[in-house]
Amino acid sequence: MHSTAYITRFVLIMTTIVAMVLAFLSFGLKPIHKKNEAVYNKKAILSAIADQLEGDYTKMTDDEVQGIFDKNITQEVINMEGTVLGSEDVIAAGYPGGRAEDIDMRKEKKKSDEDRIFPIYTYTKADGEKLYILSVVGNGLWDAIWGNIALKSDKNTIAGVAFDHAGETPGLGAEIKDNQAWVDQFKGKSIYDEQGNFVSVDVKKAGGTKNLPHAVDGITGATITADGVDAMLEDGLEFYEPFLKKNN
Amino acid sequence: MELVNIFIKSAFIENLALAYFLGMCSYLAVSKTVKTAFGLGLAVIFVLGITMPINWIINTHLLGESGIFKTDLTFLRFILFIAVIASMVQLVEMVVEKFSPSLYNSLGIFLPLITVNCAILGGSLFMVSKEYNFSESVAFGLGGGFGWFLAIIAIAAIREKIKYSNVPPALRGLGMAFLLTGLMGLAFMSLMGIDPGSISN
Amino acid sequence: MAETTVKEKKSGLSFGKAERKLLTDPLNDNNPITVQVLGICSALAVTTLLNKAIVMAIAVVFVTAFANLITSLLRTYIPKQVRMIVQLVIIAFLVTVVELTLKAVSYPIYKELSVFIGLIITNCIVMGRLEAFAMANNAYKSFLDGLGNGFGYGIILIMIAAIREFFGKGSLLNFKIIGSGSEYLIDTNTSMLFGWYEPNVLMVLFPSAMFVIGVLIWIQRSWNKKLVDIS
Repeated sequence: MHSTAYITRFVLIMTTIVAMVLAFLSFGLKPIHKKNEAVYNKKAILSAIADQLEGDYTKMTDDEVQGIFDKNITQEVINMEGTVLGSEDVIAAGYPGGRAEDIDMRKEKKKSDEDRIFPIYTYTKADGEKLYILSVVGNGLWDAIWGNIALKSDKNTIAGVAFDHAGETPGLGAEIKDNQAWVDQFKGKSIYDEQGNFVSVDVKKAGGTKNLPHAVDGITGATITADGVDAMLEDGLEFYEPFLKKNN
Repeated sequence: MELVNIFIKSAFIENLALAYFLGMCSYLAVSKTVKTAFGLGLAVIFVLGITMPINWIINTHLLGESGIFKTDLTFLRFILFIAVIASMVQLVEMVVEKFSPSLYNSLGIFLPLITVNCAILGGSLFMVSKEYNFSESVAFGLGGGFGWFLAIIAIAAIREKIKYSNVPPALRGLGMAFLLTGLMGLAFMSLMGIDPGSISN
Repeated sequence: MAETTVKEKKSGLSFGKAERKLLTDPLNDNNPITVQVLGICSALAVTTLLNKAIVMAIAVVFVTAFANLITSLLRTYIPKQVRMIVQLVIIAFLVTVVELTLKAVSYPIYKELSVFIGLIITNCIVMGRLEAFAMANNAYKSFLDGLGNGFGYGIILIMIAAIREFFGKGSLLNFKIIGSGSEYLIDTNTSMLFGWYEPNVLMVLFPSAMFVIGVLIWIQRSWNKKLVDIS
């Protein structure tokens, strides 16, 4: 049996050593962590316009990804009215970086509608055509789901989408990310009807939506996740409507 | 109502034992009879209910950038969480021993087991990744504990009965327990489609 | 495992039959998952894809080996009264090191494994080996024991993941082997021989991990009669 003084000394020395080593490691690796996280998020945005890019974005180096963002992409932040916000407003909303890429969509979802801010990335292709990438967030079966929707220069037709999720069931709900054929269905669908009213894109359970302009097939066995995508698109894209309409 | 939702969701739909398979070591080791399973189940509810709010406070007010140190100390999260769990278990053990020897006799031997029960640490880590607030994390803790309690009682009851069945020798005991848990997990998957909002409203 | 052997010899430590047993015993007769039933939690959650399982296996080997080593070096100094907490701190320390490293090396895999990295702490294998072995044996033996148990755990993990990924998604390490679509090696839409094949989604769902382990235990015990549970 050891004395209490010995135990205290032992525990104190050990915790100090452990905390110091970890602090050293953590602060030393922090720049790499930050960079990895930024590249990860940027690749998620690029994945919505994967087939418009020159080269495979998954194989790009960190610098190449950064290069596309510096050269071809302009970032803007808007509020619910569609007004473009300056970086001081973004900082005031809780993002010290002050740019669209710093916005945490899951955090924004918890705010009231009036306080929410939304990122818009405009990608300019080599031939001058512009693509608008919008971010949406919603709820799947287990946890949050989110995605980026790329619209063509008519601000109506979908050029590509990419979804991700925090913990959907692999093979079922997770197909919204993994099943490329399902994701590709969205290409060419449009979010406004002929009269210019916002209709979003429905995820239909029944299927057979190939020729419908505003609908895609659901996922077998993952109705709730698919419904989540449906609701996410409807709610999320509606927020961008003032902005999309304004600059036409 | 939001809290009732979280309770129902964590107890049935996202059951820690049958949907995430957390706490399997003690779940398989202590589920031979209903009586012992009951004791362990109670202890899990108890410890989850206590550690979750404490870990929430530590995570938000000590480790986060908005906490009292104003720096990101999340690299200490694992150590502090497990230390809180271990010391809470010890504390609960001492308190129970002093004030209720009869409860201690039935519960006591399970308490040390709980420190290394992944459901407890897993609960705290899920709480962080799901960004729950204080009251939500209490509901999540109690709901998760209750779900785990249900699961271990159910498997213990089945295992008590299956002792009298003619199972192939190589599958007896452990192998059968795995298959049974898998089947129970399948059964619980059918609860996935339920919208907890429609129950509590 | 040949690498380890060479390394140990260089350091001037003997590697005899007893040491070999420390490494090989946990692979079959005393396997952490199928015989000792430890560390099941993470075995189930991370085995949907082979690459996740491999990263997890490496992490566990690292943690068991070094936790065993550190605990064994400190074993005469650790006060008996607080030994559980001291062991947990050592494990939590190593797991944090793994997490920070993984976050820097492969951020996407870090994201996918999420909370399950943290759950290595409560992986009973680590704790179990510290209590049962490292507290009573010298550093070299404890390190080998840690390696052996880590490997025994990792092998089962990788086996389960390979079964689940192949039958569930038709791929291995994300290399598409069989399924519907031209990106697969065997395209079930055009292949004459495998036109009937359809990946079984059940395999990637949580419960199937239980079935796979259950069947693995069944097979192992049918071969290895001394493991049969007589109770």
